[in-house]
Amino acid sequence: MSDKATGNKAGALRALFTGAGHKFIELPIVYPARVFVELAGEDLRRQLYLTSADGGEELALRPDFTIPVTLHHLASGIATRKAGYSYLGPVFRLRPGESAEFIQAGVESLGRRDATAADADMLKLAFDAAALFGVKKPKVRIGDSALFAALLNSLDLSPPWRERLARAFGDTPRLKKFIASANGKSEPPHSELVGADVATVRAAIGERFATTGLGEAGGRTAEEIAARFVAKAELARGIPKRAAGALTAFLKIAGTPEKSLAALRTLAKREQLDLDDALAAFARRIAAFDAHGIDADALAFAADFGRRLDYYTGFVFEFPSPRNGPLIGGGRYDSMTAHIGDGKVAVPAVGFSVWLDRIEIAGKPRAGKR
Amino acid sequence: MSAPLILAVPSKGRLQDDAAAVFARAGLPLVSGATRSYRGRVESLANVEVAYLSAPEIAREIGAGSVHAGITGADQVAESAEGRATLSLALGFGRCDVVVAVPEPWVDVETMEDLDDVAASFRPRHGRRLTVATKYINVTRRFFAGHGIADYRIVESLGATEGAPASGAADLIVDITSTGATLHANGLKTLADGLILSSEAHLVASKAIPWSAAQKKTYAAILAKLKAAV
Repeated sequence: MSDKATGNKAGALRALFTGAGHKFIELPIVYPARVFVELAGEDLRRQLYLTSADGGEELALRPDFTIPVTLHHLASGIATRKAGYSYLGPVFRLRPGESAEFIQAGVESLGRRDATAADADMLKLAFDAAALFGVKKPKVRIGDSALFAALLNSLDLSPPWRERLARAFGDTPRLKKFIASANGKSEPPHSELVGADVATVRAAIGERFATTGLGEAGGRTAEEIAARFVAKAELARGIPKRAAGALTAFLKIAGTPEKSLAALRTLAKREQLDLDDALAAFARRIAAFDAHGIDADALAFAADFGRRLDYYTGFVFEFPSPRNGPLIGGGRYDSMTAHIGDGKVAVPAVGFSVWLDRIEIAGKPRAGKR
Repeated sequence: MSAPLILAVPSKGRLQDDAAAVFARAGLPLVSGATRSYRGRVESLANVEVAYLSAPEIAREIGAGSVHAGITGADQVAESAEGRATLSLALGFGRCDVVVAVPEPWVDVETMEDLDDVAASFRPRHGRRLTVATKYINVTRRFFAGHGIADYRIVESLGATEGAPASGAADLIVDITSTGATLHANGLKTLADGLILSSEAHLVASKAIPWSAAQKKTYAAILAKLKAAV
């Protein structure tokens, strides 16, 4: 690979992003590890490059730009303001079979209230970035967890099941396992407290905290344990057959956006589900893609496609590569600022990252030749 | 003379005594070097060098390929040498289970599925992630990932892990237990499907170190004699 060629492409990419109104920013490489682990969970930690500060604080090399950009946004002004950022630089992540240090470039757009147009702007810019690297006829996977959320709300499900299913979105085998438990095996609690009311259970738990010498300071309270204990009876009842059928049919829907929209409408009608708002938003987004000149045939919607990180809240997309992870990955993460900050301010946000090492190989006409 | 086979043997406690006993029964008595030395040899085998290390160190060195073989627990191998070691022979001592244990007052939590529910709703409620104290960081991550649990954070424990929930250092633990008495004394209970692995001491060979023909032959001889003795 020629460094000069890489440099030129990187420069052109940067010009593309800043030309679209996204201010280029330079960000630190080293952050407190908890920033990433708190947001992305323990599973990310094993991919992190860790070191320690003098005082013992655990530090990490940035594994991506989305979290650092969001931190920068929150630290440099009023959270809800509108701002577009672009970046390019090394990120560090343990990847089996791939280099642990690699270059990512991308864009993050925060604070825009016109979500539909912002989603379309991002996707169009991602297509332009792919074209810059000579990626021919990309087939882009798109998904929308907001549709699944709307489906869950319209189905006859108990709240604990709704939460479990929502959490498993993006992990289809796991979802299928849950759905298969419809009317099936129950999980009866092994306790003499079964059938008691919340107050009785709460008192019994309080006693156990006392006799075991375990405090509840900072941890789970007797209140929340009792509430969940009583609510668990609903989990044992499983998923009603009708709801299980609708979920299974939903997860299978895939194809061009137009065809998928039609299939979703048919499903909603047949099962008498109120998906009107979510489908209207989906239709508006398809229209916006069209208005942005995005070829509908380049898009492959899949109803079960989503990311399992809980700060992703809606539209997601991915330019797949033939050999490993995505060339470009992006999506809407409206919950991230709330997770980082005081938990109150949720700033609408959408963005994407280009994996430069992968896209350079994918975009070459013939690998290894110039 | 060709390079010796390096065999790592536990340097302290019950494991050291049990390992010494099984080697003696096999007709391969271990001989320590000078006082306080951490090197030794096998009485009847000339080309073996014995390295006395702690059980976790033995697994790490086997994984790193700095010793050929050793006596350590399957739990330690799972933690520090997964995929880089062969468990050649179970030795029948050092039995323990690695389990997930939660505070006994958590009456609503009986399975890993319950724990996943609790983990997912923990941060919105408490403003931090659910924490798990353990010495078994890699074992815990694999097991939790296998159950689809992502919303937690590991707190590395160096001392008495079972005390972590009482001291407030963590919400729950992953640790070894043999009878469950220690867990119970600390107000903890294991989950119904929370058994991660059942371990015992093994003769373990490293896949991460080059083996000469002579070293292989020596190892085969040790394995055969130990096999006859357990």
